[in-house]
Amino acid sequence: MLDPLSNSLDRYMTLVSVRQKLVASNVANADTPGYKTQDIDFESELHNAAAGTSPVVNTVPGLRVKNDGNNVDLDREARLLAENALRFSVASNLLRTQLKTVRMAIEGGSSAS
Amino acid sequence: MSLFSTISVSASGMTAQRQRAEVLVENIANADTTRTAGGGPYRRQDVVFQSQQVSSPFSSVFQSQLDPQATGVAISQVVVDQSEPERRYLPGHPDADKDGYVAVPKVNPAEDMVDLLGASRAYQANVSAISAVKDMIQRSIDLFR
Repeated sequence: MLDPLSNSLDRYMTLVSVRQKLVASNVANADTPGYKTQDIDFESELHNAAAGTSPVVNTVPGLRVKNDGNNVDLDREARLLAENALRFSVASNLLRTQLKTVRMAIEGGSSAS
Repeated sequence: MSLFSTISVSASGMTAQRQRAEVLVENIANADTTRTAGGGPYRRQDVVFQSQQVSSPFSSVFQSQLDPQATGVAISQVVVDQSEPERRYLPGHPDADKDGYVAVPKVNPAEDMVDLLGASRAYQANVSAISAVKDMIQRSIDLFR
């Protein structure tokens, strides 16, 4: 789009929203028998995203499985929900600053806002 | 934009939990019902959750390659308890049999109350997820300002 930084911010925000969707799925299925917690490997997906491949969704190991075969940990999901919202907020603020700089260049610095 | 389908996922969770709460409330209300349209005492009902793919009708057109399918939840069936009803000795009761026993529903209100609490909390968790995603969408919109 504008420069490499904006492009990586764009990828980052896409991945965060993909992850947020999986968190929402996990919360919605917190009482579904046999459902397994889903997530993406954020770090490696961030590197792979350059290639334009779609993220691989994995089940999360190491969670306590309840009697009905469900392993959703609501505390984990609550943490991720807040974390993703914050990450997205940081990235969108950075991107907004970038855009503001470009706009300032276009307007020749005539408007201070 | 995958964020909009995220709202559908949480909404499916809210719908499922609401239906679960409705069934539980029905059980509690009918804990002492000895007459039903089908004859015999009320039978306890329970819901079965099943994960299900959701996509809002609009977004399916725009489903991008980067979007993994969103997994929502739905109630696949409502199971009616088929076990024998409890028999209570109440000779004066209009529904008593010749030995003075009345068939009463096998409902444990304490169990249903606990389930109801769980349904209510799960509903709240889905509402929190929606408000977090709504905030993210708002931030994306703010980029245009």
